[in-house]
Amino acid sequence: MTHSSKAFYWMAVPALLLFVTLHTIPALTGVFFSLTDYAGYGKWTFVGLENYFSLFKDDRVLSSYSFTFLFAVTTTIIVNVLALAIAMLLNAKIRFQTAFRGIFFIPNVLAILIIGYVFNFIFSNSLPLLGQWAGIEWLSTSILANEDLAWLGIVAVSAWQSIAFSVILYLAGLQTIPADLYEAADLDGAGYWRQFRSITFPMIGAFFTINMVLALKGFLQAFDQIVALTGGGPGTSTESVAMVIFRGGFQGGEYGYQMANSVVYLLVIVAVSVIQLRTLQRKEADF
Amino acid sequence: MFHLKQGPAKALSAALAAALLTSCAAPPAENEVTLDFFQFKPEAVQEFAGLIDEFEAANPGIRVLQNNVPDPDTAIRTLLVKNKTPDVLTLNGNASFGLLAEACVFADLSQEPSAKEVLPAVQDILNANGRCSDTEINGLPMANNASGILYNPEIFAKYGVSAPQTWDELIAAAETFKANGVAPFYMTLKDAWTTSPALVNLAAQLQPDGFFDRLRAAGTDRNNSPVSFSKDYQEVADKLLQLFKYAQPGAVGVDYASGNKAFADGKAAMYLNGSFAVPAIRAANPDAKIASFPYPVTNNPANTTVVSGVDVTLTMGRETPHRAEAQKFVNFLMSKEVIDKYTKNQSAFAPIRSAAPQQDPALQGMASYFTAGRLDGYMDHQLPPSIPLVNITQQFVLDGDKARFLNTLDNEWFKIAARTPKRGDQ
Amino acid sequence: MTSTTEARATARTVTGRRRPRRGRLSDGVNWPLTALAAVLALTVLIPLYFTVITALKTPDQLGGSGFEWPTRIRPENFSDAWNLTNFPRALLNSAIVTVGAVVLTILSNSLVAYAIARNLHKRFFKFLYYFFVAALFVPFPIIMLPATKETALLGLDNPAGLFLLYTVYGLSFNVFVYTAFIRSIPMELEEAATMDGATTWGIFRRIIFPLLTPMNATVGILTCLWAWNDFLLPLVILSDPAARTLPLAQYVFQSQFNTNYTVAFASYLMALAPLLLVYLFAQRWVISGVMRGSIK
Repeated sequence: MTHSSKAFYWMAVPALLLFVTLHTIPALTGVFFSLTDYAGYGKWTFVGLENYFSLFKDDRVLSSYSFTFLFAVTTTIIVNVLALAIAMLLNAKIRFQTAFRGIFFIPNVLAILIIGYVFNFIFSNSLPLLGQWAGIEWLSTSILANEDLAWLGIVAVSAWQSIAFSVILYLAGLQTIPADLYEAADLDGAGYWRQFRSITFPMIGAFFTINMVLALKGFLQAFDQIVALTGGGPGTSTESVAMVIFRGGFQGGEYGYQMANSVVYLLVIVAVSVIQLRTLQRKEADF
Repeated sequence: MFHLKQGPAKALSAALAAALLTSCAAPPAENEVTLDFFQFKPEAVQEFAGLIDEFEAANPGIRVLQNNVPDPDTAIRTLLVKNKTPDVLTLNGNASFGLLAEACVFADLSQEPSAKEVLPAVQDILNANGRCSDTEINGLPMANNASGILYNPEIFAKYGVSAPQTWDELIAAAETFKANGVAPFYMTLKDAWTTSPALVNLAAQLQPDGFFDRLRAAGTDRNNSPVSFSKDYQEVADKLLQLFKYAQPGAVGVDYASGNKAFADGKAAMYLNGSFAVPAIRAANPDAKIASFPYPVTNNPANTTVVSGVDVTLTMGRETPHRAEAQKFVNFLMSKEVIDKYTKNQSAFAPIRSAAPQQDPALQGMASYFTAGRLDGYMDHQLPPSIPLVNITQQFVLDGDKARFLNTLDNEWFKIAARTPKRGDQ
Repeated sequence: MTSTTEARATARTVTGRRRPRRGRLSDGVNWPLTALAAVLALTVLIPLYFTVITALKTPDQLGGSGFEWPTRIRPENFSDAWNLTNFPRALLNSAIVTVGAVVLTILSNSLVAYAIARNLHKRFFKFLYYFFVAALFVPFPIIMLPATKETALLGLDNPAGLFLLYTVYGLSFNVFVYTAFIRSIPMELEEAATMDGATTWGIFRRIIFPLLTPMNATVGILTCLWAWNDFLLPLVILSDPAARTLPLAQYVFQSQFNTNYTVAFASYLMALAPLLLVYLFAQRWVISGVMRGSIK
């Protein structure tokens, strides 16, 4: 389009200026502070890369990364598979469609205090009762108090809470598929799975990629639900990176050090997302 | 040219107008000073509102705006970053407060008339958390808590047990209850911080004198340090584990809220929490029977102390433009009438010399220790707050690995010592 | 639209013969799926039921299995919550911030995305695209304190500044999704309009923006969710206590040693209602808009 390219600049540049002022400059400032021992207040001195060296010697930080990864990857997969299935369900000709859409949206709007309390209660009281009745050993005590299984409890609740977000995006994607494609496939006698593989999935490929990348990025930054459910426990087995950054950096007064952690965190998230994006887009192209 | 459609345009302008309107508060009257009062305790908001009304009535020309802040730790830091340090503040007198005080954020209150009324033991504990310089006082204690053992006097009477004075008596009491099918303690191991009260009490009485000063003096030299957790906390760890062996079945999954309810309903003889838990226990069951005694950590009752921390620390911003008015307000809040009323309503201890005697039956077991100054500070106020002490302790109580516990504490301490460069004010 | 034609081709060639329609209940309701949806809905309704009955209890009734109906209902939990959080004020503040954020976002971010989507062949706009999207990966702690200080300096530490921040920070995600959507709109419409003498602004207003309805609704819902429930950004940005939004006001129930769960739950339920209504209303546009757009 050659007409009025000036208009396009007018559309984009003011936003760019605002963005640089309100996001980029603070981001660069934060990165700068990672090279200092700033506590968030008071005097500070420049310490160069020392914070980064200390990071790699800190076993608490390293184990928080491995837990966060395990949690994020598992939850991303679960959420996307389930969200796609539910979106398809909500898109089909079911009765009370609006009501169901409203209901499935509720977890996403419930406050984290409620979710923490309710699920803590369910995991500590209701589920163990069920486990004892059914004779399942690992379910007879609170999953969240079990060092090995606590992360699964957190995965379940995080998935429950975030599915609505992905469902909205998938619904938007499913809407873009013209109905006559399905009708044509019906006429040709294509079964449900065949239609899914050959029509649905390829058409929403872009949405799938978007959802996966955003979900992983979001879960890598998980904080609220982990604090509400286990507080990082039992012990420090479910401490996420975001948690270590907030607790250590703000309440703990080691702001500069945790800014270094945040920068490393940023690089990790970017690297993971780029890899993920490339892989998924290659699969998209295959279709 | 591009212009907004009707609907969104209206909505946007309405929103903008409303936003601008709400941003403007009513301008103060001529010569009227408005004090920005940062108040961190949600359950005390009504209490302080009443006190503010009293103060404003007696001091026309001064207005006090109470700001009950969500998430006070984060909020105070953002206020500092914005250069909007409040005029008067209340904060919990913990390690976080100590860090701020050390950075000379708060005013020097040592010359205030109310400073002389404070119990010396309490002021010492508060100063030990950190202050701008050795001669300053950066916070005045308005209300203290006391960390001891809460117990159900009815259950004790039923089995003929009296408040233990020595460690052996405590263990014997636990055994008696256990033998009779009553849970000796109600443990809430799901919430990591509930392992802390026992730890701090054991540590206060068992750690060597000047433990933390000597640890700090050792700097980053772990191998040559005269003190360390591994060396000096052996008995603390042993006794901690001994206590938690009496946990009721399923304690691992029980949280603090459930614990309060259970203890309030008489499901256990003792509860390892202090005065701070009393309001919550009473809310869970208004008829709860509560009494208390300090931890008899050794077999020598003369060594017994109560661990107490300043629940509500009163302080002023260092650069407050309304110094005189802020001082008036601070001294008003530190007056005997106000402190007596506040501590009675909030189940706390009054940290001033002229305090009225403790009337709450739940707290009388520790009252004499308080007035006699037989107090120790919380050891976790001496640790850098970035060490996840409660999580480490919870881990220890769950797996019983003493070597790992003490080693982790030393590890974390010296890791932080290594990455905290020598600053002039540290 | 290669994927459409490919999919069409696939549908065609699945079987060579034409068979009469069977299996799919195209006219009636799909009852098995409805039943499945109902079962899944239980996973939401059960915790919701728990929440509602807890909001009706007194603290001494908490405990047990949690699912028992209250022995004594305390409707004052709701009036207590109303007073303690100064609910009308907090609701107004939240509404201002949310409405401002949603309206400003939908109007501005789509515009920016349009400019980018139509010019990705130019280096500047390609850079813009990656620049905005890259910011998605910057964790909030990095910008938190510096942004706090900056907004205070610029006089933006108020509700207007807050919804400006939501709009600007939202650019990352919204440019990402809007661009993807706009690229699927064929250029022919715009080329035809240009030949009729329309300006770029006019094209956006009359052609593109209406076609963006489903995306606008989606972005609107997501922004609304974000702004309504967000705790951290209002906490650090807003200086005036009177400007507090609902999540901040509702923190009053949480103290260190005693959380007032019953009243807190009542409060959160009250805060939930407007959001749910908005969602139910808006999600229709996600569907209806696309139907309009796909019939070409």
